[in-house]
Amino acid sequence: MRIVVDHALCSGHGRCASVAPSVYQLDEQGFCAIVEADVAPGDEAAAISGANNCPERAISITE
Amino acid sequence: MTVDDSIRLDNPAGCPITHYHEVNQDVRPAGWHFDNFDAKREEAPVHTGIAGAPDNQYFLVTRMADIRHSYQTPETFSNSAVVPADPNPMYRWIPEMLDGRLHTAWRHLLGPFFTPGAVAAMEPMVRRRFTEVLDSVADRGECDFVHDVALLYPNVIFMDLFGLPRDHAEQFQAWEVDILHGGHTDGGQRRMDAMIAVMGYFSGLIKERRDDPDPSRTDIVSKSIDFEIDGEHVSDQDLLDFCLLMFMAGLDTVAAQLAFSWWHLATHDDDRRRIVSEPSLIPTAIEEFLRYYSFVTPSRKVMHDIEIAGCPVKAGQMVYLPLVSANRDPREFDRADEVVIDREPNRHIAFGAGPHRCLGSHLARQELRIAMEEWHQRIPDYRLAPGAEIMEHGGQVGISNLPIVWDV
Repeated sequence: MRIVVDHALCSGHGRCASVAPSVYQLDEQGFCAIVEADVAPGDEAAAISGANNCPERAISITE
Repeated sequence: MTVDDSIRLDNPAGCPITHYHEVNQDVRPAGWHFDNFDAKREEAPVHTGIAGAPDNQYFLVTRMADIRHSYQTPETFSNSAVVPADPNPMYRWIPEMLDGRLHTAWRHLLGPFFTPGAVAAMEPMVRRRFTEVLDSVADRGECDFVHDVALLYPNVIFMDLFGLPRDHAEQFQAWEVDILHGGHTDGGQRRMDAMIAVMGYFSGLIKERRDDPDPSRTDIVSKSIDFEIDGEHVSDQDLLDFCLLMFMAGLDTVAAQLAFSWWHLATHDDDRRRIVSEPSLIPTAIEEFLRYYSFVTPSRKVMHDIEIAGCPVKAGQMVYLPLVSANRDPREFDRADEVVIDREPNRHIAFGAGPHRCLGSHLARQELRIAMEEWHQRIPDYRLAPGAEIMEHGGQVGISNLPIVWDV
């Protein structure tokens, strides 16, 4: 499973890091620090929850 | 205000007619504005009508997909005007009413004060401030939650952020109510007087911090004196426009959200008991209160001719994009018309969307969480005062009164 974050859409809501801190961290301006990343085994549900809570729909999850 | 029904609107798509004054009323029973937006959304994706002057045609957009897209497309939907009745404002609040590069530059300067990390460092101060407010009412067994708690608490936090004396908070609260809560019978004179007083206060503050810089000061005004954009210091006018926005955006918003949340909890015993017995649910419940009671109703000015849901909108016209209408859209949320305090996921846009996402959203969430935690530890059971009629005002929608009682 892979995470792709569209930084044209990410606006620093921080919801991903709030609901799934094991997967998503924020940069020093408060935007999602991930551009693309593989999801560690066991973190799949957290990764999906972070994506589903993004108000901008900026996070895509691919298999 | 009345609008002549014979006014001809340019409406080739045949949108329903909804004038701005029909969705923005001064005093109504609490919840009225939200219910009204719900009805408008289910009637049509776009309504048109008159906002203010008879030649000012505006468009009310009602559904999540169109509203979110508008906020995410700032090249088309400009922040240079943010109230439907005022497409050519004489003021420019910073950073809200900036577009493009200048907006990005200001957000970059302000961002570090409001990141989740910066806000977390303020938690002990915020908790202490809420506890002081709570101490002032807990033993009384009754209070008007709006005036005694919801308005006061964010004002006190604001004093800390701006490096101002705590005892100016009551004066700020009085100005805030005069400017934002409407319902005046004196033709707006009190609102105007309060606005002039606030501008005078901030102008004096900026001059004081410029004339007597103190590097040990860490408040946001002292820091903003040194802001530079493109190698130039920001002007005193820009700093004033920034202070005014902080005043407008930072005080009444948390107050309104607290009041709607406590109105809900005072009238829904099951939800209240659940957050008392499961305090770890509080952050999730707060997201749901933010979704269901989204009182901020911004607008944007359209920069070039477009169509929204088949409805033509011309350059220069205003679109009204109420967040609550998006956040209660059943096309987006299951059980959209219910408060589900453990809702997951919850992809609401109560803090807006796109580059103008509320700068203070993390601080607001923290203020809300701390208030909800501390209050319910101390006062787990409370209810509306017998016979209380809870009312709300328009403009920036908010609850005007919330008398509650509890056993002591």
